[in-house]
Amino acid sequence: MPFPFLLDRIASPKSLSGQWLGCAAAVCIGIGLASKTSADDSSLQFNRDIRPILSDACFACHGPDKNSRQAELRLDDRNSAIEHGAIVAGDHASSSILDRILSDDPDLVMPPPKTGKKLSGEQIATLRKWIDSGAEYQSHWSFEPIPDQVASPTPSPDWARWVRSDIDRFALVGMQQHGLLPANEADPLKWLRRTRFDLTGLPPTIEEIREIMDDSSEISRERIVDRLLASDAYAERMANMWLDVARYADTFGYQSDVNMDVWPWRDWVIRSFAQNLPYDQFITWQLAGDLLPNATDDQRIATTFNRLHRQTNEGGSIEEEFRQVYIADRTVTAGTAFLGLTLECSRCHDHKYDPILQRDFYSLASFFADIDEHGLYSHFTRSTPTPALSLYTPEQKEEHQRLLQAIADAEAKWTAWNETEAKRDRSATTELLAEAPATPWAFPLEGSVPGVFGTATQFNGDDAVSFPLQRPNPADESKPIQYQLSRPEPFSISLWIRPAEHAPRVIILHQSVAAEDAAFRGAQLVLENGKPQFSLIHFWPGDAIRIEALQPIPIDTWSQIGVTYDGSSRANGIQLFVNGESVPVRVDRDQLSRDFRYLPEWGDSNANTVQLALGARFRDIGFRSGALDELKVFDQQLSLLEMASLFAQATPITSEAKEQLLAHVNETWDPMSLRSHPDGLAMQSELLSLRRKENDLVTQVRQIMAMKSAIKPRVTHILERGAYDAPRDAVVPRPLSRLIARSIPGVEPDQPIDRTMLAHWLTSPDHPLTSRVTVNRFWALFFGRGIVASLEDFGSQGMVPTHPELLDWLARDFTRNGWDVKRFCKQVVLSATYRQDSVHRNLEWDGIDPDNRWLARGPRHRLSAEQLRDAALASTGLLVPKIGGPSVMPYQPAGLWEESGTGKSYQQEKGEGLYRRSMYTFWRRTAPPPSMLAFDATSRETCTARRETTTTPLQALVLLNDPQYIEAARAVSETVLLAHPKDRSARWSELALRLIHRPLTPAETSILAREFEEQLDYFQSHGDSAKEFLSIGERAPNPSLDPIELAATTVLAETLICFDEFVMKR
Amino acid sequence: MGPFSIEPFLRIHSETSVMNIQNSIANQASALARREWLVRAGMGFGSIALADLMGRDTKALGASPSDAPSNGPANESGVPSHGALNPTHHRPTAKRVIYLFMAGGPSQLETFDYKPLLNEKQGEPLPDSVRQGQRLTGMSGNQASLPLAGSIFPFAQHGQCGAWVSDLLPHTAKHVDEMAIIRSMTTEAINHDPAITFLQTGNQVSGRPSIGAWLNYGLGSDNENLPSFVVLITKGKVDQPLYSRLWGAGFLPARYQGVQFRSGKEPVLYLTNPAGIDGASRRKMLDRLQELHEVQAAQTHDPELSARIAQYEMAYRMQSSVPEVTDLTSESEATLERYGDQVKTPGTFAANCLLARRLAERNVKYIQLYHQGWDHHGGVPGGMRTQCKETDQPIGALLQDLKDRSMLDDTLVIWGGEFGRTNYSQGKLTADNYGRDHHPRCFSMWMAGGGIRGGMTYGETCPFGYNVVDNPVNVRDFHATLLHVLGIDHERFSAKFQGLDARLTGVDPAHVLDEILRA
Repeated sequence: MPFPFLLDRIASPKSLSGQWLGCAAAVCIGIGLASKTSADDSSLQFNRDIRPILSDACFACHGPDKNSRQAELRLDDRNSAIEHGAIVAGDHASSSILDRILSDDPDLVMPPPKTGKKLSGEQIATLRKWIDSGAEYQSHWSFEPIPDQVASPTPSPDWARWVRSDIDRFALVGMQQHGLLPANEADPLKWLRRTRFDLTGLPPTIEEIREIMDDSSEISRERIVDRLLASDAYAERMANMWLDVARYADTFGYQSDVNMDVWPWRDWVIRSFAQNLPYDQFITWQLAGDLLPNATDDQRIATTFNRLHRQTNEGGSIEEEFRQVYIADRTVTAGTAFLGLTLECSRCHDHKYDPILQRDFYSLASFFADIDEHGLYSHFTRSTPTPALSLYTPEQKEEHQRLLQAIADAEAKWTAWNETEAKRDRSATTELLAEAPATPWAFPLEGSVPGVFGTATQFNGDDAVSFPLQRPNPADESKPIQYQLSRPEPFSISLWIRPAEHAPRVIILHQSVAAEDAAFRGAQLVLENGKPQFSLIHFWPGDAIRIEALQPIPIDTWSQIGVTYDGSSRANGIQLFVNGESVPVRVDRDQLSRDFRYLPEWGDSNANTVQLALGARFRDIGFRSGALDELKVFDQQLSLLEMASLFAQATPITSEAKEQLLAHVNETWDPMSLRSHPDGLAMQSELLSLRRKENDLVTQVRQIMAMKSAIKPRVTHILERGAYDAPRDAVVPRPLSRLIARSIPGVEPDQPIDRTMLAHWLTSPDHPLTSRVTVNRFWALFFGRGIVASLEDFGSQGMVPTHPELLDWLARDFTRNGWDVKRFCKQVVLSATYRQDSVHRNLEWDGIDPDNRWLARGPRHRLSAEQLRDAALASTGLLVPKIGGPSVMPYQPAGLWEESGTGKSYQQEKGEGLYRRSMYTFWRRTAPPPSMLAFDATSRETCTARRETTTTPLQALVLLNDPQYIEAARAVSETVLLAHPKDRSARWSELALRLIHRPLTPAETSILAREFEEQLDYFQSHGDSAKEFLSIGERAPNPSLDPIELAATTVLAETLICFDEFVMKR
Repeated sequence: MGPFSIEPFLRIHSETSVMNIQNSIANQASALARREWLVRAGMGFGSIALADLMGRDTKALGASPSDAPSNGPANESGVPSHGALNPTHHRPTAKRVIYLFMAGGPSQLETFDYKPLLNEKQGEPLPDSVRQGQRLTGMSGNQASLPLAGSIFPFAQHGQCGAWVSDLLPHTAKHVDEMAIIRSMTTEAINHDPAITFLQTGNQVSGRPSIGAWLNYGLGSDNENLPSFVVLITKGKVDQPLYSRLWGAGFLPARYQGVQFRSGKEPVLYLTNPAGIDGASRRKMLDRLQELHEVQAAQTHDPELSARIAQYEMAYRMQSSVPEVTDLTSESEATLERYGDQVKTPGTFAANCLLARRLAERNVKYIQLYHQGWDHHGGVPGGMRTQCKETDQPIGALLQDLKDRSMLDDTLVIWGGEFGRTNYSQGKLTADNYGRDHHPRCFSMWMAGGGIRGGMTYGETCPFGYNVVDNPVNVRDFHATLLHVLGIDHERFSAKFQGLDARLTGVDPAHVLDEILRA
């Protein structure tokens, strides 16, 4: 039976016409092909025919996951299956697998009834044949190497002339094997419209329509394609595709869903497609741009890709829990985006279908865990979560470099002068010995318990005591100036402390609003299990300094704690003192680059009211039963002697001890002893002024989340069942080496590697997945369906490729030609396969291949949410073709954001923001734009490689009633009315050219003509209706046009916008 | 495929429409009238379920009705449905669900879980033996002390069953004999977003279908003019936010997502004709549009065109069916009075409860209400008074209304939030004020009607109201039970996602609460 598949199909429908039968027979004889089907036992292929059956029905219990494996049987591995006896190669009757499948006993039958799965007779027959023919296995198709050379098939002579490219050769063979033949070539206008949408996401212009109507030659087509590929619109279209994969949005998601300002990354994506950045670089930059030698700003911005996941700032959340969620999101996203694998399962256990162990997941995850981040973003400040990249303007960058140099020079000058002075004169310092330091801001902390000086204040752990810091006001002594400790300004603190217990992170003193909830922004002195620890924090931990004393202080005893800071933003600019003596410290963090104050210009809460506070902090661990006494704060860096003398003032200290201490301190040279020297004063003042300038400048610079490897990355552990609080074995960064047995050149098995090596591994031309996944995703942009239909899953539960050889050929061709995306696109749109009409050569073939798996017609699918809205704007002349920048807020029904309860309001634009391309529409994850969601756009909460395409009444309501579309209809109506004031049919023609990009048929013209009369009639007889209708939208109607005519024409334009040919790509 | 599925419609349609369209081209001036054309196309719209017309996947993969779920062999007692699961696994006891979601986490200790011991031990620290080292949130976890706080509101026993209910809920208390009160709910999440996402989608991670989307997918719609999954949110409550994912379709096709009915002029987004366009004018425009589509169908031979035509027809019908159902003015004074004063203010919980009843009468399958404002970290007494006043009377009225109409028997009504609250005070405990932090270890929910055994309480917490000591019910059990009363075996109801047969109840064990089901 040469055409069993075909005959099977044509035997049943009664509607079949004799004429068609003849035609089919002629076609088939003409080709003389040997059709084969999956039931053809001579050509059973494990990957194509057997694996899908076993994977779906058996692998969950008899697959790679050893923990859920039943009866020690593994069916994904030939040796195991044979050893077990489940499969006896060549003998289905002896294979226990078939006994179990065919069993009548509900306790024995496989799969167990409980799973709800049951093999069909056809599937069982296939298994039987496969066993009888030797039960050969293949490794999963997508893990097989891509052949170095993929020969493209030779077309049968009858159709050789149809073929334009290698793509067509593969496509033709696929069609012929399924008894199909290419459709007619689409007319040039259809090709133009299709190409225009696929390459730029926008409809053709009138000029382009005329151009191709005049000249549809090959040269003309190629010229058009080259022009489109060179346009910014092309880059926007490609970027738009990537935004779904990268889960790009304008807000953090989760409950309070604050804006996250990552649009500079989106603009980088557009730039990289515009510049045709080779795709391997596109991948490498996003994964590891920060680690490339002499990384450019663009390479660093690219890494924001890994930070686009959702983040929370919900009060009370456990930081580590969410940090692990973020790392997993990065890992899973990379899995889908680059490997086309679903890794999520292996977060909790070994993958049930694919050879990915839980260990592999965490090994891969540890590449993405290398940054100094906090699991929560800040509720009280608008800091960019660390690591953050500063986005200097060129002027800012230049000025910043200049200031940094000036500061370095001033510091060097001070040091040099000190060295000279140190040699010259040391006696001056002793004068300060017995004197109290100047201008202390003292808070005696008189309270209810005996103190070092009089009484002291005891704390309950919940209630803080706070003070405004003040400086004398030279202008008015009665009104001192309130101030806050800040990054460029030296300060010193001294206080007496008597803890009652040792515990983690007990807060003593701070200038901040909150702990976790503000990412610790501020200055803080805590006792970490008794060890004094001092921090200056912009955003913990990536932008902060923290030092900690090596020794704890005793409990139930008074100790003096001192801190001095020189304004340098360096850990070595901070000294910790215990009982008057500088103590050795461990430096925990040393990268403070921005102010630790709360600033109104950053939009921080409580910016103007933050004070110095003691003993407790919002939702933090208070100084339970501890006591404090005699706090002094100085707006300068005290010398060692001064700090010692502060200690020495305390009554509990014997005079002998005091003298010993002071004598000891005096032996140490301390530059700050010379602080009041006139030369020293001048130098310090210059340094302060420069540091203030630098701080002010940095405060103005926008930041974006990016990747930056921590100096000491945290060790990644396997998490039992994925739980953040159940760490098990530690792992090192490693690609999925068990999956794809191939080492990285030059890397030893246990050598630590970083994200550059991951990128290197992924973008190797021989990587079996990356290039296949990539070309497949691009292919789907054009055909609406991938060669592997499950764009997101190339694993054993995914779909198998319809054209495996074509996929491999495309992958090889792509990598061999420098991962050149534009070249790929051009190749597709000029192919004969793509040029086909979207109607099959034979209408009945639609029933045989409704999804166009065999490519015997051109693509046909609904435009995406973005393309529809963009088409409405572009076709009607409203589109503002501005590239990039902050996201905009076009029309949206009022009240949606308010209803969600985040306390945020949608600020609809009035001007050009209404008419930008949809990729610039502000995307709030908890309340995405409803007119986009209606057309299957996603919330961008997670990586999405493939959108559904549905048809719903809600879509009709959007096209009919959304002001965006009505205003667009009016705009295009104005254009055609002005162009054709008298000639109605010319108007309809131009309307059609603009909206559906082809001339009307006479039948259509007469429908529109009738509609126009009806609408004219309606508006003439309904008072102000026309006026009301025309007032929709922000753009005023053209007053020179007759409102009745304009309104009626607008209804016609709306009709065409609702029309199938506007909505569909055909 | 259900008897009203679009699939057979499409087939019949595409075979005959070509001929009709050729007629219409041959006879352009008198194209067939729309309805006549449809009748000749083989089927009137009247018999086509909205759920089917809510869309058809043109390129759907994985989860879609055409890719039938592995629902296994149906029990003989299953009944036909209009969804992917047809027939159901067993005979359902409920045809529809009204889920009153109390967002923010209402305190079980001031509502259904009576703990006099807390009043006795008022102010004493939470014993370590009770806490057992369990995690607290960062909001109260660092407090210097965790003082036990008893309910300031008295409790009394109600109904034949003698269930304990706080005095804050007098109207609800009248119906305890219809309810199964579950006092032993537990969840895994301690923060709002993950917890509410878990309750509504079966997973703390976003991206999974909501309960209503699952039901929409599995059972389809019993009403041809209204969406089968409707969401109603109390207007003007600012507290913990709600997110569209809670009624989203997750990885299922978007058409299964809930449709929010809003108060005001436009109950469904984009429902209203533009200013200046009346119904008759719109009808004419749609007629011409259909003519264009008929011509197009003749040229492209694409069966998709019939879905396109149906899409506009359904939209047109929704323009009248939605305003009809949301118009409460046809309700009697007596009914309105039963729901309380606020029922006359659109968007209040009272108005939404009444609307829920009207939707239920029209066989909307799943009606999800949200009432925010239960997150009482401080000010429990005042907060609970306000919240209960807003919700108690309307809930009583809804239950009574359903009973009066003999609808409670086949309508499952659910009340509950995303977690419970601590038995100790967050912040200062004073004589007349206290707060309570999030508490995932135990909370209370109730279910009524639709095959639920009334007059029972299920599960028990310890005398401190901190841990479950008897019959713990996790969120998966709750989902399994919900599906069960609708005729669905949770283990056999799945859709393909990431290569797995994903289920509402996930991969961990889940059990139907047989004891709360009517025998």
